[in-house]
Amino acid sequence: AEPSAPESKHKSSLNSSPWSGLMALGNSRHGHHGPGTQSASSAAAPKPGPPAGLSGGLSQPAGWQSLLSFTILFLAWLAGFSSRLFAVIRFESIIHEFDPWFNYRSTHHLASHGFYEFLNWFDERAWYPLGRIVGGTVYPGLMITAGLIHWILNTLNITVHIRDVCVFLAPTFSGLTSISTFLLTRELWNQGAGLLAACFIAIVPGYISRSVAGSFDNEGIAIFALQFTYYLWVKSVKTGSVFWTMCCCLSYFYMVSAWGGYVFIINLIPLHVFVLLLMQRYSKRVYIAYSTFYIVGLILSMQIPFVGFQPIRTSEHMAAAGVFALLQAYAFLQYLRDRLTKQEFQTLFFLGVSLAAGAVFLSVIYLTYTGYIAPWSGRFYSLWDTGYAKIHIPIIASVSEHQPTTWVSFFFDLHILVCTFPAGLWFCIKNINDERVFVALYAISAVYFAGVMVRLMLTLTPVVCMLSAIAFSNVFEHYLGDDMKRENPPVEDSSDEDDKRNPGNLYDKAGKVRKHVTEQEKPEEGLGPNIKSIVTMLMLMLLMMFAVHCTWVTSNAYSSPSVVLASYNHDGTRNILDDFREAYFWLRQNTDEHARVMSWWDYGYQIAGMANRTTLVDNNTWNNSHIALVGKAMSSNETAAYKIMRSLDVDYVLVIFGGVIGYSGDDINKFLWMVRIAEGEHPKDIREGDYFTQQGEFRVDKAGSPTLLNCLMYKMSYYRFGEMQLDFRTPPGFDRTRNAEIGNKDIKFKHLEEAFTSEHWLVRIYKVKAPDNRETLGHKPRVTNIVPKQKYLSKKTTKRKRGYVKNKLVFKKGKKTSKKTV
Amino acid sequence: QKKKENLLAEKVEQLMEWSSRRSIFRMNGDKFRKFVKAPPRNYSMIVMFTALQPQRQCSVCRQANEEYQILANSWRYSSAFCNKLFFGMVDYDEGTDVFQQLNMNSAPTFMHFPSKGRPKRADTFDLQRIGFAAEQLAKWIADRTDVHIRVFRPPNYSGTIALALLVSLVGGLLYLRRNNLEFIYNKTGWAMVSLCIVFAMTSGQMWNHIRGPPYAHKNPHNGQVSYIHGSSQAQFVAESHIILVLNAAITMGMVLLNEAATSKGDVGKRRIICLVGLGLVVFFFSFLLSIFRSKYHGYPYSFLIK
Repeated sequence: AEPSAPESKHKSSLNSSPWSGLMALGNSRHGHHGPGTQSASSAAAPKPGPPAGLSGGLSQPAGWQSLLSFTILFLAWLAGFSSRLFAVIRFESIIHEFDPWFNYRSTHHLASHGFYEFLNWFDERAWYPLGRIVGGTVYPGLMITAGLIHWILNTLNITVHIRDVCVFLAPTFSGLTSISTFLLTRELWNQGAGLLAACFIAIVPGYISRSVAGSFDNEGIAIFALQFTYYLWVKSVKTGSVFWTMCCCLSYFYMVSAWGGYVFIINLIPLHVFVLLLMQRYSKRVYIAYSTFYIVGLILSMQIPFVGFQPIRTSEHMAAAGVFALLQAYAFLQYLRDRLTKQEFQTLFFLGVSLAAGAVFLSVIYLTYTGYIAPWSGRFYSLWDTGYAKIHIPIIASVSEHQPTTWVSFFFDLHILVCTFPAGLWFCIKNINDERVFVALYAISAVYFAGVMVRLMLTLTPVVCMLSAIAFSNVFEHYLGDDMKRENPPVEDSSDEDDKRNPGNLYDKAGKVRKHVTEQEKPEEGLGPNIKSIVTMLMLMLLMMFAVHCTWVTSNAYSSPSVVLASYNHDGTRNILDDFREAYFWLRQNTDEHARVMSWWDYGYQIAGMANRTTLVDNNTWNNSHIALVGKAMSSNETAAYKIMRSLDVDYVLVIFGGVIGYSGDDINKFLWMVRIAEGEHPKDIREGDYFTQQGEFRVDKAGSPTLLNCLMYKMSYYRFGEMQLDFRTPPGFDRTRNAEIGNKDIKFKHLEEAFTSEHWLVRIYKVKAPDNRETLGHKPRVTNIVPKQKYLSKKTTKRKRGYVKNKLVFKKGKKTSKKTV
Repeated sequence: QKKKENLLAEKVEQLMEWSSRRSIFRMNGDKFRKFVKAPPRNYSMIVMFTALQPQRQCSVCRQANEEYQILANSWRYSSAFCNKLFFGMVDYDEGTDVFQQLNMNSAPTFMHFPSKGRPKRADTFDLQRIGFAAEQLAKWIADRTDVHIRVFRPPNYSGTIALALLVSLVGGLLYLRRNNLEFIYNKTGWAMVSLCIVFAMTSGQMWNHIRGPPYAHKNPHNGQVSYIHGSSQAQFVAESHIILVLNAAITMGMVLLNEAATSKGDVGKRRIICLVGLGLVVFFFSFLLSIFRSKYHGYPYSFLIK
């Protein structure tokens, strides 16, 4: 099955329209040359007629092609880079959200202490009192990339702060992603589709959502590594050369070092090989590529400390090993085929293949059963059994990224691409070959995962861009090219003459002659210029709408740093709410260097990164029981919480409270998850039902359950809030987030005191008091010897001593006389 | 005192005898008063108040009853079975007086009657919030009585059987047509299958599967049926089907455009195909965009259709 790149009109590329040139690209190529090699080879071909030099190079179609592709790729890079800068321009060059703060902190550590120090880093400021071995529990690719860039720039005496490197790393890598997407799509279809795909992925919101400037996260570089690995894999399957496979392994190694999503690669590539075997498309090329990839990739991936021996000990990686064994068996049988008669071979073949498959399957089951192989981890398991996480792992279910995807989010993130990429998939399957099998599998598996989890939209995005680019490029090829060709007959002639004058270039000529015949047939049955231009116009309009949509989404949905909030007044002026940094800076300046801050795990990385204080739990949610303990402290009453906090050596407690400005992501809204996670570990002490009203509602007003109104989180959030009247229309203590007047306005603390509240009350920090020198008794002191308070005095004597007034009012101390209010 | 013990022993014996026959005993008003309300007791009693008669049309009751059966059976056949815990049920039509006595006006309700003292607030199972899965009931019982029941569901073979049936069907088909296996190499078939998967996923069928939304929403006041959910966070089943059709139409339009340009045939016919394809793409895309606009408030762009 030859790649059926549609019949070409590549000689039209001298005309000025970029589209026609773009569409015509790649048709004259039969092999696996990049644009560079192509132009070089045609430039090297003997040219008797045309003038020499640069203009001569440009007069060659290939010269124009490479110039155009370079320009388009460069522009795609530029567009992708600049559309990710909204946040930097609106706010400042700042690290966003939660996880990036940890990455930034460790990159900073790497840059200031060196690589080995980073690998051995034991972070005693996280997970107090446990600590965290950072070097062994992160994917270091991101930090090393950023650190390396910083080092190179500084060696060249370009002084850049490490923060700026971190902020701009993801936008820079988006350009590399679009280039690798271009390369991959070119291998799959043709160069025109590749360029379209590069442009799509540069601006598509599904990818921008994880790679805006400041979002310094693994995904930013991992998508590049993913696409590049796939490109090299396709290349190595196509060529069967060990060189390309080794490149693929190196790229895979980079991917493993960068992101946990490498599991997707190590399952997709074996799946590809397996399906190729099923389709009887086995060849030596596949054998060489996969055997090399599996062995070298396995060894390389085990070099990452965090991955370690997982590739041979966990179920996620077993598919790769199984396919490796199967491929060896298959190859062996193929070898035997030459030595046996056909009949013998057929029986042996089926016997052998089924035996091998069965043996692999059984041994995996046996090893899992005996414990040599760990079963699927919860996160991966929940991808298959979609109800699993909801019941068993609240901490996974509580993360909003792990929710299933509605069609709205698909459309929001991919716009027209989501409607057109099935067409690209259709074309690929209709004109199947080895590498298109790959892209079809990629599309189907990625779309399944994206349906299960919003977060995995990220892995779907590249393949959607590629397939839609194929669909669009197909349309443009048919509806743009032909017209142009008929307008430029002289060019054709001249190039034909050129062909005749080049008898040496037989390879090209053969192709060209064949195409020339089809071209001559076509004009007679063309669809007519009107229809063609209408189609082209409307398609271009759709693409324009896509570009506009992408910019709008990027600007409105994905460019908020979430560390700094902005609100807009009626007249359009902007208020910056900088409460988070205000509070973290207060912590940094006013507390002891080794103070321990308790907060819900969402804010752990930010406290560590911005305030540089010790935290109890953070966003690396590896220790569920520790988190549950914090959740328990937050959801118990003050006395019980104080005991827990004393046992954890807590000095400060930090809560996020959005009731004043109506910020919905605050701790009260997350509170039920704290209760649920705490209940999971301490079912005796915390019960979710206690926090609901009788009707099963979660309310913070007077009707709310007393357990809720007296728990630590509630008290810390609403302390002194009852005195505050935000608005003349609402009563004091009116919570804007939940639109309710709070139920417990008279909050007093015994073991805590308010230490700091930020300008808009977004962050509130409490100090945990040290225990009193002498504990006050909870009850009255017991009285042992009863002494009468008044000595007995006879009435007579008192009356005689003082005078005697009739009907005198008698006051009794300590009792209020009942007054009637008028 | 002696008499009391006798009475208790007699009651327990009777309960044990019944439970050897059935895991749940149906009670009428008299039995309920005798075994559940009357004082000498040393056993806990879980009672389901329900209305199972067909004329009551309580579909929830039937589902709850199934779960309750599973729970009672797992207790009945578990190794920890003892005479400390019994399962009973009262049907509304058999024990109306019990319902009135307990001031109960909704069914099904699960209540726990502890061996000592009166039932407290937490002894009524919070059905609204937790649901009536057997596991949740078991958790609640463990919470109230310290009796841990491991719920053993009779394995659901229907899925396995369906799968086996499908596999054997496919296998049989392959075997019957073993001389003519061409259809496996039919690319159109494979392409169709993969497009179906893609459309199902991109229209959010997985969301429907996990969240189980209603098919459509009927406004109780004016009887209007809305097929599109108003918020961008959720969707109806009907809505996802509409989206599926729209996506498929757009894809078909793209394919038709390609067909029109590549197929060999009458030019007029191809022109019509081309225009149909273009119309499909443009019209359905603008329709899709307008649905999206109605759901995602504040989205500024539209195309052809507002």
